[in-house]
Amino acid sequence: MFHFQSYFSVQYLVFLLPITVILYAFLPQKARRVVLLVSSYLFFWAISGKLIVYLLFSTLSIHHIGLWLSRIQTDEEQRLQVTVKEQRKEIKACFLKKQRMVMAFAVILHIGILLTLKYTPFFASNVNTLFDFLHIGISVKIPSFLLPIGISFYTLQAVSYLFDVYRRKIPADQNLFRLALFMGFFPQIMEGPICRYSDTAHQLWEAPSIKWQNLTFGIQRILFGVMKKMVIADRLNLLIQNVFGKPQSYDGFVIMIVMVCYTIQLYMDFSGTMDLVIGSAQIFGVKLPENFQRPFFSRTISEFWKRWHITLGTWFKDYIFYPLSMSKPLKKLTARARKKVGNHFGPLLSGAIALFCVWVCNGLWHGAGWHYLFFGMYHFGLILCGNIVEPFVVRATGKLKIQRDSGWYRGMQIVRTGILVCVGELFFRAEGLRLGLDMFKKMFTNFTLTTLHDGKLFSFGMDRYDFLIVFVALIVIFMVSIWQEKGISLRAQIAAKPIALRYAVYYTLILAIVIFGAYGAGYVPVDPIYASF
Amino acid sequence: MVYVKRGISVLTFFMGLTIFLVMLSFLFVPKNNMTEFGMEEVTANGILGEKENTIDVIVLGDSESYTSISPMHIFKETGYTAYVCGTSGQQLSYTKTMLHRAFEKQSPKIVIMETNAIFRKVSTVKAIVAKLSDFFSVFQYHNRWKSLNLNDIKGKVKFTWVNDFKGYQYRDGVSSGMDKDYMKPTDEVAGIPLLNLNYIDKIKSFCDENGAQLVFLSTPSTKNWNYSRHNAIRQLADELSCEYVDLNLLPAEVPINWNRDTYDKGDHLNYSGAVKVTNFLLKYLGKTQLLTDHRSDPAYEKWHDSLKKYEADIAEKLK
Repeated sequence: MFHFQSYFSVQYLVFLLPITVILYAFLPQKARRVVLLVSSYLFFWAISGKLIVYLLFSTLSIHHIGLWLSRIQTDEEQRLQVTVKEQRKEIKACFLKKQRMVMAFAVILHIGILLTLKYTPFFASNVNTLFDFLHIGISVKIPSFLLPIGISFYTLQAVSYLFDVYRRKIPADQNLFRLALFMGFFPQIMEGPICRYSDTAHQLWEAPSIKWQNLTFGIQRILFGVMKKMVIADRLNLLIQNVFGKPQSYDGFVIMIVMVCYTIQLYMDFSGTMDLVIGSAQIFGVKLPENFQRPFFSRTISEFWKRWHITLGTWFKDYIFYPLSMSKPLKKLTARARKKVGNHFGPLLSGAIALFCVWVCNGLWHGAGWHYLFFGMYHFGLILCGNIVEPFVVRATGKLKIQRDSGWYRGMQIVRTGILVCVGELFFRAEGLRLGLDMFKKMFTNFTLTTLHDGKLFSFGMDRYDFLIVFVALIVIFMVSIWQEKGISLRAQIAAKPIALRYAVYYTLILAIVIFGAYGAGYVPVDPIYASF
Repeated sequence: MVYVKRGISVLTFFMGLTIFLVMLSFLFVPKNNMTEFGMEEVTANGILGEKENTIDVIVLGDSESYTSISPMHIFKETGYTAYVCGTSGQQLSYTKTMLHRAFEKQSPKIVIMETNAIFRKVSTVKAIVAKLSDFFSVFQYHNRWKSLNLNDIKGKVKFTWVNDFKGYQYRDGVSSGMDKDYMKPTDEVAGIPLLNLNYIDKIKSFCDENGAQLVFLSTPSTKNWNYSRHNAIRQLADELSCEYVDLNLLPAEVPINWNRDTYDKGDHLNYSGAVKVTNFLLKYLGKTQLLTDHRSDPAYEKWHDSLKKYEADIAEKLK
C-alpha cells in the first residue's frame, strides 16, 4: 500500500499527483471528476485508513442537513406566499426557529466529533490535575483517539457550508459527489486552505481540461514550495528540535535565535505547503484561495492575521466574530457603552468579547494545550491593546509631526510586529506553557553572546554553511515577496522572457532543491507542521 | 504544431537538466573513500581501496553483519579474503548499491547476505533516491556542497584507503541477553515487504550474472531473530535456490553464551561472540571448496600488514 507522509513525500509528488494529472488529462470531463474524487479518497485512505469513515460521515451528514435546511426554507417560502402580511413575521420566526434547531444539531454533531477526538484527552488530563490539586482521590481515564488527517480543516469547511446554506448565501447541493469532492479534494484535505463551497465546489465539478499555462505555472509554484520546505524549513528543523527539546541547556541568545528560526520554519513550512497545494490545484484549473500574503510585511498584529492563514482568519471572522458581535446582547451592550465611553471605546467592548471568543477558538484550534490557549490570548491581548491605543498613537504622532507613512516609521512597525509574532511563536512551539515562560525569561536573564564568539552556536544542529544557505534562500524569498507586494506576477514575468532565461530560472530552482535540500543521509523527513493541527 | 513545439521544448528542458545533473554528479562524487573526501559509510566502503580482484567473499547486511564476522580472523586461519560491506540499519536499496560497488573492482566467489536487513522495510524515498543515485550521484552526495574544493573540480576519483579490520567493527562489553525461547518452533512465516523481495531478486540475479554464489546467513540475535523469520528466509532461499545457514539453530556449532557473548542484551554479538561465528564461517567457507589460501601469495602482502595491525589493535582492546 502507498504510504503518504505528506505532500512532500515521493508518493505524492512522483506517483499520486502525476498519475492523477495524466488520467485527468486524457479522460473526458465527466470522468475527470471521478478521477479527482477517487484520488482524493485514495490519498485520505492511504494516510488515515479506516478513519476515512469520519470524512464520509461528515460529507453525508452535511449533504443531508443541507437538503433538510433547504426543505425548511422552501416550505417557509411557500407558506409566506399564501400568508397575509400580518402573519408573516410569526411564520418567519417559526421557520427560523426550526432552522436554528437544525443548525444547532449540525454544529453540535460536527464540532462535537472534532472536540471529542481532539480535546477529550486534554480535558481529562486537566480534570485529573484539578482532582490532584483538590486532593480528591479520583482519576479520570485519559482516552486516546486516532485523528483522521485534516479533521480540523474539513470540519470547518463542513460547518461553513451549512451556515452558508442556512444564511441562503448558497443553495443546498443536491449532488452528493460534488459535495464529496469539495470536502475531500486531495491537495487541500491535509492542511487547507479552508475553502468555501461558493469558491471551489463548482470549479472542481466543472473539471476543466488542463491548460498549458496552468500546468507550467502550477509546477513552478510546486517547486517554489518544495524549495521553501526542503531548503529552509527542514534544514532549520534539527536546531529547533534540539533547543526546544532541552531549552535549559541553552542561553538566552541561542533561544532568541531559535525563536526567530522557528518562526521562519513555521512560515516556510506552511506557506511552502500552500504553494504546493495551490500549485497542484492550479494544474487542474482550480483556483484555491490564498492562505498567505507576505505576513511579515505587516505593520500591526491585526494586519498580520489578515495576511497569515487567511482562510482560517476569515472563517473565524465570518462564523464567530460577526455573528457574536451582531448578536442582540452585544448590540445592546455596544449601544449602552457608546453612551458612556464614546464612539471609539464603546464598540470596543462588545468587539473585545467577540474577539476573545475568536482567539480562544483560534488558540485551541491549533491544538489541545494550555500553551496554545496562551498563544491565542497573547494575540487577543495584542490586537485589543492595538485597538485601544490607536487613537492615542495617531494623536501623539500628529503632535510630534511624524509621518506615519514614511519609510522608517513603516519599517519600525514591521520590525515591531515581527518581534511580537516571534515571541508568540516561542510559546506556540514550546513544549508546555511553563517551558515557554522559562525560555522567554531566559532571553532577558541569561543573555550572552559567548556561543556566537566561541562558535558553539554552529554545533547545535546547524553549522555555518546551513545558516548561510538559509540566509541566501531567505533573501531570494524576500525579493520575490517584494515583487509580489508590488503586484508583479513573477511567473507571468518569467513566462514572457526568452526561453534561455526561463530555463535558467527553472534549472536554478530545481538544482537548488537537489543540492541544498535537507534530504538523504543525516536528515529525517519532517512532516508538515500544520498537518498535525 | 503547438503540441510538437511544446513536446520539443519539454524534451530540450529535460535533456538540459540531465546534462546539469551529470555534471554535478562528477563534481559531487567523493574523490577518495575517506570521510574527509565526503565518502559515506567509510568502513564498508573501504573495499573500494582494496587491490583489484583480491576479495573472495563479501558480506552484506546491517549491524548484525559487521559485529558478527571478522574477515581478518578468517584470513589468519584460512587465507581466504573477505570484506564486510555491512552498514548500520542497512536497507536493501543500499545493500544493492554496495554489491554493485564491490563488484566494480572485485570478483568475489561468494556473497553472504546477513538476513536481518531483509526484513527492514525499504522506504520508497530511499529506493527512489538510490535509483536516481545509480545515474546521478549528486542525489546521494548533494550535502557535500559544504566541503567542495578545487580538487573536486579537477581531481580524478581514486580510492586509496583500506580498512585493516576489513569492515568488521569491534564491540566489547557484556550485557546479558538470555532468552531461551527466542527460537521456539512455529509454522508462522514472517512477512517480507514486496519491495524488499524485489531487491533480493535483483541481488540474486546480479550474483548469478557475475558467477558468485549467494548465501543467506542468519547470525545469532535473540532480539532480532525468531522462528517465523527463519521460516520466511528458508522459503525465500528455496525459491531462489540459495544456501541458507541459520546460526540461531546451530548451538552446537556456534555455542553462543548469551551471558557473555553479547554487549547489548542479545541484539548484537561482542568480540567473543564474533569469534565463534567467524570460526563457524571459516569452516563453512572451506567446505565450499571455492576459495584458495592466499597467505603465501605475495600479491596479498598487504593483508599480512593489516593482520598485524588488526591483532595488535584487538590485543590492545582486550587488555
